[in-house]
Amino acid sequence: MAEEKVGEYEPREEYEMSILDRLSDRLIDGLASFITLFKKDWKRRNQSRIKEWKLMAYALNRSPPALLGLVIVIIYIFVGIFGPYLAPWPYDFFPVNYNYSTQLAPPGSTYFLNVTELQNGYIVHYMTYIHYPLGSDTYGRDVLSILLEGARTALVLDIFIILIGPTIGIILGLISGYYGGKVDEVIMRVTDMFLAFPGLILAIALSAVLPGRIQNFLNAHVWAQTLVLKLFALHPRDVNNLGKLLSVFVALVIVWWPGYARVTRGSTLTEKENLYVEAARAIGLPTRTILFRHILPNIIGPILVMITMDFGGIILTEAGLSFLGLGAVPPIPDWGNLINQGSQQFPQAWWLVAFPGIVIVTVVLGWNLLGDGLRDILDPRTRRSLEFKLKKKGKGGESNA
Amino acid sequence: MAGLGKFLVRRALTFVPTLIGVTLIVFIIAYVIPANPVRAWAGGEKASQAAIEMIKKEYHLDQPWYDQYIFLVKGLFTNSLLDPLNQEPVFTNIGNRFVVTFQLALFAFFFVVLIGLPLGIISALKRNKATDMVLRIVALVFISTPIYVIAYLFIWLFFIHWNMTTLAGIPPGPPHQITHIPIIDDVLTLNWSNFVEQVRRFWLPGFTLGIAAAGVLMRFTRNSFLEAYSRDSTLFLKAKGVPKSRLYRHVLKNALVPVITILALQFGGLLSGTPITETVFNLPGIGRYALQSIMYLDFPALIGVTFLYAIVFVTANLVADILYAVIDPRVRF
Repeated sequence: MAEEKVGEYEPREEYEMSILDRLSDRLIDGLASFITLFKKDWKRRNQSRIKEWKLMAYALNRSPPALLGLVIVIIYIFVGIFGPYLAPWPYDFFPVNYNYSTQLAPPGSTYFLNVTELQNGYIVHYMTYIHYPLGSDTYGRDVLSILLEGARTALVLDIFIILIGPTIGIILGLISGYYGGKVDEVIMRVTDMFLAFPGLILAIALSAVLPGRIQNFLNAHVWAQTLVLKLFALHPRDVNNLGKLLSVFVALVIVWWPGYARVTRGSTLTEKENLYVEAARAIGLPTRTILFRHILPNIIGPILVMITMDFGGIILTEAGLSFLGLGAVPPIPDWGNLINQGSQQFPQAWWLVAFPGIVIVTVVLGWNLLGDGLRDILDPRTRRSLEFKLKKKGKGGESNA
Repeated sequence: MAGLGKFLVRRALTFVPTLIGVTLIVFIIAYVIPANPVRAWAGGEKASQAAIEMIKKEYHLDQPWYDQYIFLVKGLFTNSLLDPLNQEPVFTNIGNRFVVTFQLALFAFFFVVLIGLPLGIISALKRNKATDMVLRIVALVFISTPIYVIAYLFIWLFFIHWNMTTLAGIPPGPPHQITHIPIIDDVLTLNWSNFVEQVRRFWLPGFTLGIAAAGVLMRFTRNSFLEAYSRDSTLFLKAKGVPKSRLYRHVLKNALVPVITILALQFGGLLSGTPITETVFNLPGIGRYALQSIMYLDFPALIGVTFLYAIVFVTANLVADILYAVIDPRVRF
C-alpha cells in the first residue's frame, strides 16, 4: 500500500524539459552571447549566473498563472509601443463634427461622414464611412482606436513613474536602514507623513494644483515639449493639454515612494548585520558600493515583486484620477477618461464603461499574476529544488541507457 | 501588560510629527495654488473688492505663511475654522459626513470578513489543488478590479436589473440616537424598519468598497494559515496522532493572530479609501467632501479632512499594534 503511494508520487518529482524550457534556454543563451559582444568573456565568467537565470525560467514555465500574466504583460507592452500606429482612426479626429449622430454610437454600427478638412492650406471635401466595432464616445471617436492609443499613455506613465518613484524610495530606505540613528529617524518620520496621507487624496490634490506650473515649464522649454509629445505619440496641436497629463505623473511619483522606503529600510536593517557587509567595510569599500553592489542585490527580490504588482496599481490609480476628471482630458486618449464619459451616460452608453473596464482589469490582473509568480520564481528554494529534480532526471536517463 | 502605558505614550509622541507634517503638506499644496482661491470663495468673477478684502482678513491671507498655518491649525483645534463655502465650522461639516463614511466602512468591513476569511482558509486547506488555484486567481481578480468599473457592473445588475437597492439620498437615522451611527443605533434600539432601510441603501456601496480588501485578506489569510501549518508544533501534533479537525483548530488559532492585526489596518484603509465609491454611489461622505474641497480650492476644508485621515491612519496602526500584543503574549513593548 505504502509502496504504491510512493510509486504514484515518484514521477511528479522529476521534470522533463518542455518546449518552453528549451525556448527559454535558447533565449537566455542568446542574451548572454549578446552581452559578451560588449563585455569580453562575460559568458564564461558568469556561468553560474546564466544557470540561475535558466532555472528561474524553468520555474516560470511551471507556473501557468505566471505564464498567463507574462503573456498579458507582453501584449500590453506591445500595444503600448505600437498601439498608436495600429489604431484605425487618429485620436484627434472628431466625427461628431461631420455627422452628429455618431455621438455615442453603439458597438457594431456604421456611419457616413461628410468631411471638410484643411490639408496643407487647401480645403478638402470628401465622403467616408466609419465603422465602430466597440462603439463611440461623446465625440464620436472609435472606442477601439482610443483603447489602442490609450495603451501608450498608460504604458509611458507606468514606466516613468516606476523608474522614478520606487528608485527614490529604495535609495532613501537603504540610507535610512544602513546609517540608522538620526538620519533614520528623520527619513522615517517623513515617510510616515506621506503614508498617513491616503494616496488617492494626495494625488488628486497635487494633480489639481500642478498643471499650471508644469504647463508653464513646458511652454518655456521646447525640447521638453517635443520629447513628451513623442513619448505619448500626440499631435503637436495638443501641447496645451500636456500640463494636466504630466501633473498625474508628478503626483503619482510623490505618492509612490514611501512604501518602498519602508520595505527597503526593513530588509536593509537585517541585511547589514551580515558578515559580508562587515567584510566589505573592513577592506575599505565606499559606502555607495556597499549599499548598491552588496546589500541591494540581496534584498531586491521582494522589492521586484512589489514593483511588478505596482505596475498594475499605477494603471488603476491613473485611470481612477482620469475617471474623476483629473489628468488626461480629451482629446488625449486615456482609458480612465472613457469610463468618465461613460459614467455620465450610464447605462445608455454601457460600452464606454465595459470595454475600457475589461481592458484595465485584464492588464492589471496580468501584472498581478506575474508578480505573484515572481515571488516563487525569485525564491532560491524553488530554484534549488528544480535544479535537483532536473539533474535527477538526467542521471536516470543515463543509467537507463 | 505593564509596559502598555509607557508604550502608548511613546507611540502618541511619534504621532505629533506625523500630524503636523500631514497638515503642513496640505498647506504647502494650498500655498502653491496658482489660482486665487479667495475670488472663488467670495463668489466667482463678480465678487466685490470689499468682500475679497474681508475674506483675506478673515483667513489671515494677508499675513506671512507661518501665521496662516498657525491660524489654520488653531482653528482646527478650537473648531472655529469656517468652511468658506457654507460658513460652518470645518469639523461640524466633517462630523456630519463622517457618520456616512463610517457606516459605509462598517458595511464594507462586514463583506471583507465574510468573503476574505472563509475563502482564504479554504484556499489554504486545499493548497496547491484546483480549488486553491481558482481561489487565488479570484483573489487577484478582486484586487485588480477598480471600484469605478465594478461599481457600474453592480449598479446595472442590482439596481437597474433587479432593483435590490436605492441610489438616491440617504435614509434618516432612527429617532433615538446613541452613537449617531444609524445602523448601530438601529441595532441598539431594535428599530428594524430603519435597519432594513439603511441596509438597502448601504449594502451595495459597502460590497463594492470591500471587494479589493477582501482579495487582500484572502491572500493574507492563506499565507498566514500555511505559515502556521508549517511550524514544528503542527508536526508534533501530527506525530501525536491528533485528529485533523483538532489539528486545524490549533493551526487556525495561531494563524489568526496576524490576520486580526491586518483587519485593524484594513478598517483604517476602508475609512480613507472611499472617495470614488462615494462619488459613484452618490453618498455624502468624507471622501466626496475631500474631492469637492479640492475641486473648489477650499483648503481649510481639505486641511480638516486630511487631518482626520491622518488620525485614522495612526489610530489604525496603534490599534493593530495593541491587538497584536494582547493576542500574542510573546510580544513585549
